[in-house]
Amino acid sequence: MAGSRLERFGTVFTRVRDLMRSGVIKPSEKPIWYDVYEAFPPKRDPLHVKPHTRPSTKKQETVPEIFYREDEARAKFYEQYGTGPRPFDLSKSSFVSTCQRFVDKYTELQSHSELDGSALFEETGKALLSEGIVLRRKGAPPVSAESRDPVLELKLTEMLAEQQSVSADSEETTHSTHTP
Amino acid sequence: MAARALTKGLWGLRHSRLVTVGHPCGGHQYATAASIRSPQLQIDDATEKVINQPLEKPDFFRVSELFSVKDLFDARVHLGHKKGCRHRLMEPYLYGCRLDQDIIDLDQTVEHLQQALNFTAHVAYRGGVILFVSRQRQFGHLVESTAKNCGEYAHTRYWQGGLLTNAPIQYGPGVRLPDLIIFLSTLNNVFQPHVGIRDAAKMNIPTVGVVDSNCNPSLVTYPVPGNDDTPVAVEMYCRLFKMTINRAKDKRRQMELLHGLSAPSTPSS
Repeated sequence: MAGSRLERFGTVFTRVRDLMRSGVIKPSEKPIWYDVYEAFPPKRDPLHVKPHTRPSTKKQETVPEIFYREDEARAKFYEQYGTGPRPFDLSKSSFVSTCQRFVDKYTELQSHSELDGSALFEETGKALLSEGIVLRRKGAPPVSAESRDPVLELKLTEMLAEQQSVSADSEETTHSTHTP
Repeated sequence: MAARALTKGLWGLRHSRLVTVGHPCGGHQYATAASIRSPQLQIDDATEKVINQPLEKPDFFRVSELFSVKDLFDARVHLGHKKGCRHRLMEPYLYGCRLDQDIIDLDQTVEHLQQALNFTAHVAYRGGVILFVSRQRQFGHLVESTAKNCGEYAHTRYWQGGLLTNAPIQYGPGVRLPDLIIFLSTLNNVFQPHVGIRDAAKMNIPTVGVVDSNCNPSLVTYPVPGNDDTPVAVEMYCRLFKMTINRAKDKRRQMELLHGLSAPSTPSS
């Protein structure tokens, strides 16, 4: 059967239509999908688009970033409390995480009361505590982490010194026993 | 090397077996030139009415009832890849970018999916040969079983260069090529566009394809912007395609019985 293998010129439909118009494809050989395409064409003609080979200098942001007003509250929550006490259970589509409950309470209090900023933050924490969710602050102070290592190191060196002295003593004793 | 040649040969064999096992209801077979029957040989008024009547209604097979935006959301179809992997031509189909992850616009996806399913249904109604293609190893079996359940064909293995373009020599003269190719993923295993898209455009075969945010949708006839990596999403696509094709074939049998016609492949004496 005749065909046109030029995938970069026109669409599949235009090529078949023109081949039929010129008589290369007989009406009896019309493809099955031709009438269906004619009745229900796609939203965009499947034309081949040439890729830009030259590196383009302009970069326009056509895809917007998605940010919500509650993201501020979420960011503060994660900074202070980490992921929260309860792990995320994504198998349930109606799952509400600790962070989401916090944010809901935060927006509720913001709309009702006149508090702002850190005061509102504390209020939300207290409200959640009254509901039974304990929020533990994350982030141990960095000083204690550093102070652990010198302690360990000291112990190791002490142990080594002890061992060496012990082995020296035992050698002396064995030596002393051997020498008549 | 000999082992690789042997497995390639086996794959070819398996493909041809897959090809001959599933017969669509119209009774079309891959056959030699001698026994080919052109599907439009016997056209009379009743057949023409049966064939052309579905084109008059916008949604004859009611494919829009098969899914909703919530189903797509629960199947995580809206999740794309990261901003760095984004393809330039996919930008119109994206809703936005949340913390560097692309989110696909599900309103557009619903429209595109409806068009794609409608086209598939009409092609299946007219007894077209449909080929499912996906080069994702994790969904190979799922795609093959989907094709088997609707009585159509699948190719989830290595795509040899001349599969469509050199078909008469690879499979014998008079081979019938697919009338529609459905890509469950338009990329191959090295994240390049699948050769089948370009080959189908060359051989004037329309394509339906699930395009993720790192794919090129330009040559796909009916692209469906959506996630092609999550198992839930791919299972949903397979289920939808299977349901539409079965619905279309059942409708065809119904319409033929209604108009008192026999199956179109048997020649009238």
